[in-house]
Amino acid sequence: MAERKIKVIIAKPGLDGHDRGAKVVARALVEAGMEVVYLGLQQTPDAIVRAAVEEDADVIGLSILSGAHMSNFRKVRELMESSGLGDRLLTGGGIIPTKDQEELKKLGVGKVFGPGDDLQEIVEYIRVNARRVSG
Amino acid sequence: MMHFRQGLWEEFFKGDRLACARLITAVENEPEALPEVLDKVIPAQKGGIRVGVTGPPGVGKSTVTAALARRAVQSGHAVGILAVDPTSPFSGGAFLGDRVRMQDLGDDHRVFIRSMASRGGHGGLSPATPYAADVLDAFGLDRIFIETVGVGQAELDVLDCSDLVVLILQPGTGDVIQALKAGITEAADLFLINKADLQGTETLLDSLRFLMDISPVRKGRPFPPILEASALLDKGMDAVSAEVERLIQDCVGSGRYREKRRSRLEQEIRSAIQRKLWDGYSMLAGADDAIRAAAEEMIEKSGSPYPYIRRACSRIRIQLAEERAGCDKKE
Repeated sequence: MAERKIKVIIAKPGLDGHDRGAKVVARALVEAGMEVVYLGLQQTPDAIVRAAVEEDADVIGLSILSGAHMSNFRKVRELMESSGLGDRLLTGGGIIPTKDQEELKKLGVGKVFGPGDDLQEIVEYIRVNARRVSG
Repeated sequence: MMHFRQGLWEEFFKGDRLACARLITAVENEPEALPEVLDKVIPAQKGGIRVGVTGPPGVGKSTVTAALARRAVQSGHAVGILAVDPTSPFSGGAFLGDRVRMQDLGDDHRVFIRSMASRGGHGGLSPATPYAADVLDAFGLDRIFIETVGVGQAELDVLDCSDLVVLILQPGTGDVIQALKAGITEAADLFLINKADLQGTETLLDSLRFLMDISPVRKGRPFPPILEASALLDKGMDAVSAEVERLIQDCVGSGRYREKRRSRLEQEIRSAIQRKLWDGYSMLAGADDAIRAAAEEMIEKSGSPYPYIRRACSRIRIQLAEERAGCDKKE
């Protein structure tokens, strides 16, 4: 069989209706040959991580434009750890100030992207950093 | 040799959801794991019922599936959903969007939802879907909904994979001539006209009733029931769910369930033998190159492929005979 496909969850947590960016990124990942489970708007951290468990996802990508990135990333990361998904990549994008990006890194969140970033860069980042094997 | 890390099977049988998810990943991606998975899960199955949900793109398969799943949970069932969406033939990627329509199931732990990309499957499912259903059955889920990609006329894999099939149609998508064509309409155990609040429902009903008039009995069974609903508004779905349950009882009671299971096993045996023989042949030194060279030669000489096929088959026969002789000697 062909090489293992990278499975990515794309979700928008909380009260945030701007999903164009999430869709654009999802589409770019699909065009790069990944399998993207799109969860859509107004997701709770619980629902996101539950979906990631059932999908055995390699990557969770959050799109957050509401300003609530710290609490959402933190909560999702905690739930990932407690659900056995500690080895998976958590990444995302939105309007996220540089100083918060540093904080997020300390929480175990990967690189986060913002407006103007190159789609190919996002694709490559996920390709390189996605967990590949599981036991 | 065991394929999985230690403890995975114990976790699976204790009800760990990540272990279950991991096994589905294995049947999707690691063909060498399949024998171990089936060896473990088939003896553990408790007779989960597989309900196929199929129909053209956009008729509301995911919404109907969610509505049926919710009702099954309310009547005390543990529910699995396998939602298949198409793989791009160009990039190999897939946008799996069925969960968007299933949000209200998102926090119910009596439901396990898995999205699957259709990969190499051309019949509305992915090649691994039947095995994923086997895993969910052994996980203790007794109602397993299998939602196909949007299908047209003849994508019928769901028929082999499910115990019964719900075909969803919507108003405004065809006339009697469409309904008369062979294929998907013949596979249904239940016709559901979704979006029945829209114009054109009567026309579609007429077409289906006409089908029923001219063939009231199909393969010894009465014509499938025809129901109307509007799943998005949750109208009429109680009746649909009740009818699905009735069909399930009938399927089990009439022995059709057993027949379905037998034919699934037969098919697995056939396709596994095919795979094994093909793998054996293609591992012969340079089989792929030899086939390409032979095809080139056929083009040059306008030759038929059959002389080459006959020679290849006799090589396989000789190889099998040698293997058997080897086995006999060992014994």
